[in-house]
Amino acid sequence: MAMELFKNTKILVCVGSGGVGKTTMAAALAVIEAKAGKRVLVLTIDPAKRLAQTLGIEGTHDVTKVPGQNFKGTLYASVIDHKRTFDDFVLRASQHSEAVQKIFNNSLYQQLSTNLSGSQEFTSLEKLYSCYDSGDYDLIILDTPPTKHAIDFLNAPQKLSFLFSEGVAKWFRDPEGKKLGLISHLIQSGTKQVLKVLETLTGSQFIRELGDFFINIEKWQEKLLQRTVDVQRMLIAPTTKFVLVTSFDQAKLKEAEYFIREISKGGYHLDTVILNRIFPSWLDQGSEQNKNKSSDNMDLNNFYSKMKAYYSQRDVYYRQFQAKIEKEARVLRIPDLVNDISDLSGLEELSLLIEERQSKT
Amino acid sequence: MAPHNALRNAYISHVRHTLRSMKQQIHFVTGKGGVGKSVVAAALALKFSRSGKKVLLVELGDQSFYEDFFTLSKVGFSPIQLRPNLALALWSGESCLREYARYLIKIESLTRLFFDNAVMRAFISVAPGLSELAILGKITSGLRNHGPPLPYDCIVIDTFATGHFKALLEAPKGMSQAVQFGPMGEQSRQIDRCIRDKQASHYHIVTLPEELPIKEAAELQADIKAEFNIDAELILNKILTVPVSGQVVKEIALDKKDNLNEFAIYLQYQIQRQIEMKETAQKITTDFKCIPLIFETDPWKLIEEMAGKI
Repeated sequence: MAMELFKNTKILVCVGSGGVGKTTMAAALAVIEAKAGKRVLVLTIDPAKRLAQTLGIEGTHDVTKVPGQNFKGTLYASVIDHKRTFDDFVLRASQHSEAVQKIFNNSLYQQLSTNLSGSQEFTSLEKLYSCYDSGDYDLIILDTPPTKHAIDFLNAPQKLSFLFSEGVAKWFRDPEGKKLGLISHLIQSGTKQVLKVLETLTGSQFIRELGDFFINIEKWQEKLLQRTVDVQRMLIAPTTKFVLVTSFDQAKLKEAEYFIREISKGGYHLDTVILNRIFPSWLDQGSEQNKNKSSDNMDLNNFYSKMKAYYSQRDVYYRQFQAKIEKEARVLRIPDLVNDISDLSGLEELSLLIEERQSKT
Repeated sequence: MAPHNALRNAYISHVRHTLRSMKQQIHFVTGKGGVGKSVVAAALALKFSRSGKKVLLVELGDQSFYEDFFTLSKVGFSPIQLRPNLALALWSGESCLREYARYLIKIESLTRLFFDNAVMRAFISVAPGLSELAILGKITSGLRNHGPPLPYDCIVIDTFATGHFKALLEAPKGMSQAVQFGPMGEQSRQIDRCIRDKQASHYHIVTLPEELPIKEAAELQADIKAEFNIDAELILNKILTVPVSGQVVKEIALDKKDNLNEFAIYLQYQIQRQIEMKETAQKITTDFKCIPLIFETDPWKLIEEMAGKI
């Protein structure tokens, strides 16, 4: 059965705040299309050990053909190495010049390339772009870095690119405006005062470090900006679709509503919202009705009722949510499977569940 | 000196005196996304406030979780009172830096010029470590007697998820190495000392009895032990307490005709996994607590019940 989600889709981006099961969902979606005969690559960020083992990507950052598969198409997987992707990008952008070693040694660059907010988002998109550009795959599914809020993923690259825009860089590269000659007269008188405030807050050495950093990035900041533009174009293309994975509490659902509004404002194509692991699977099937013998253990019966009541109460929120967003996107409700996914058949089981849910909507 | 300034200074010195006589306690709560760390942080704060302490619950970033969770009108930088001894605030890197700048520069118009500048705002939001440093600076300002007063006995911080939390702790060290001289270097060293101070700073890593959260918690626990000599407490959240014996669950799990068969299979798996996960936790640290899964959807009832169980 062909899923609407994959029609004319070349890139699928799975977004969502941390801990909602994005990686597993990305892998299960990839399985669906590999079974349908496509060459699919799933790019993951930080897979659980067993999932990494299942995908055959434990301890490697290379694109790997998932072992033990017997699909009509082929499933590939990879874990993104952020540091290497960032360094590779800088190497290429600076055309392997000698100056590149200087930037690698700059302490601000080291922070930037590893744990600065926005850098993981940048490298994820960079990796996605280069895989997309290679033309080796029919479909690429991107799992995104854990952010506090789903929307952070989309905002991060713009934030980062602003830092690299010439307007910002020239401030720090040449705070006194010495090299600018005539232009320095045009700098608003406020500029110097603003820099003075920064110096009061941070000290002159910090300003010098920054200056050094911006001098060193001068060669490749242009390329970085260009890349941001290319990436943005790729993200808003009609062949790129977004899946929001979310779960649990009311706060998460409110956040999802906010995200849905923002994502369409940005011109992106949100296709599906997956409410993941929202109730245990035993509750889903109304399993007790199909059995002929009623359990005589009172404690267990009471416990069952208590848990069932709790999940039914939560279910009210999900239904309200679904009613609100139905016009914007498809909603799939996925139960929590009994077992952790520990092999390819587990992923296939989940992928069947997704297909089944999809056909119901 | 204007009279209100004299009054303000007297107040500040009074607060500082009080703080010196009783060291302010700082509790950092972290964990992987989705493990319930915000709820645990709120329960912890409520618990401390019940023992008579003046508690400030702080969340980090631009958007408030508690605003939606408790259905509050507006949560911002200035604390709002939730309960008699419990206040709540939302601190972002920018708001902390802004307050600090105002304190340091003392000229409101200049501070405004700085923060209204588009380039500066963008710069602050992405500059390596600056936001993190500003936030930690604010958190430790009471301990360091530096900056505007923070009149609380105890501060509970619902901090960033695991990865970003490490970046937060590393910011002062990184900054003091990159910038050895000037106010930033000096402040960074002071802040770094505070977060390592075992008498004042306490760390709680919240996790679920599941593979990935436990793995992340273990890594974080080991990392901050190695790098900062910090002993973090581990909190296993949402432990399912099954009111019947393992034997009963097993029998029903085997009986395909029983109407609770699938439920029992689920419970059996949960029990088994929880045993394994507790063993894993035991190996990470002996300092670990369990919080049961509480079947409650009302936010205050949930927090109150949890506070009683931590």
